[in-house]
Amino acid sequence: MKIAAHLEKFRRLDATLARLDPGRDQELWIWTAMNAGVHLLNAALHASGTTVETDSFHTQVEGLYAVPERATGALRDAVHPPGDVMHVGQPRLATPLPDAIERAAVALRGIEDLRELFVRGSERADRSAQEAWRSAYRSCVRELAPALGIVANAR
Amino acid sequence: MNIEAHRSKAESIERSLSRCTVADYETVVEGCMLAGTHWFNIALHRTGLLPDDQDAMHAEFLTVAQRRKVGVALPAALAALDVIEWLRAPYVRGDLEGGEQAAERALASLAALRHAALQSLSPSSG
Repeated sequence: MKIAAHLEKFRRLDATLARLDPGRDQELWIWTAMNAGVHLLNAALHASGTTVETDSFHTQVEGLYAVPERATGALRDAVHPPGDVMHVGQPRLATPLPDAIERAAVALRGIEDLRELFVRGSERADRSAQEAWRSAYRSCVRELAPALGIVANAR
Repeated sequence: MNIEAHRSKAESIERSLSRCTVADYETVVEGCMLAGTHWFNIALHRTGLLPDDQDAMHAEFLTVAQRRKVGVALPAALAALDVIEWLRAPYVRGDLEGGEQAAERALASLAALRHAALQSLSPSSG
């Protein structure tokens, strides 16, 4: 997707995240933080030239994209080099990440790794774990925001 | 995951979804996918299509043989989860116009999945 579109998605998801609580809304908080982070990561990867800014959307299948026909809203499947990533390391990228993006990716992967136990599984987090999740999200945003010209909030 | 745990997770996610509106369409579609998949697994377990220790993650990732069987035993549930999963690329990962309508479709599909799961739990289907 285009950088501007990723940034708009991030802004929207970040605003929704502000209304969720990582304890009460554990599953949706994790998922929304992850999606917000992935959009910001994609914007940063495009801006750094690590991946290509294309008008296509990553599907549920790694490396498979949906290309929109804007006039009709129709989608067609396509396989092309990234493009957007679905998650950190999916698809794998051929070039090393710039340092700030690498640090953001580590933080984001920490959130992505919560899915199995805390979203699909039955584990519940205590307050210190929830604060660690918030900290990981803030870290991801803080690392990526400067290069994208956006202001990271203190959430 | 057993049926009681799936139900608890689905209901928890649905409570979180109640804090969103269709204007939050990315999160609504994703929440419907997450809650709907838990309802889907209840129906799969109850009908014996998958054992308790083997959960489906996405309808799209079922094997061809599994999809054929689920399509016969739980056609409405499979169709509903397919709809929600399809919405993810254009409206969550992508920026196609019509996000609020997508959220409404996702919520309707979630209701269909919940109905299929609760129907599978009724004594007459046991």
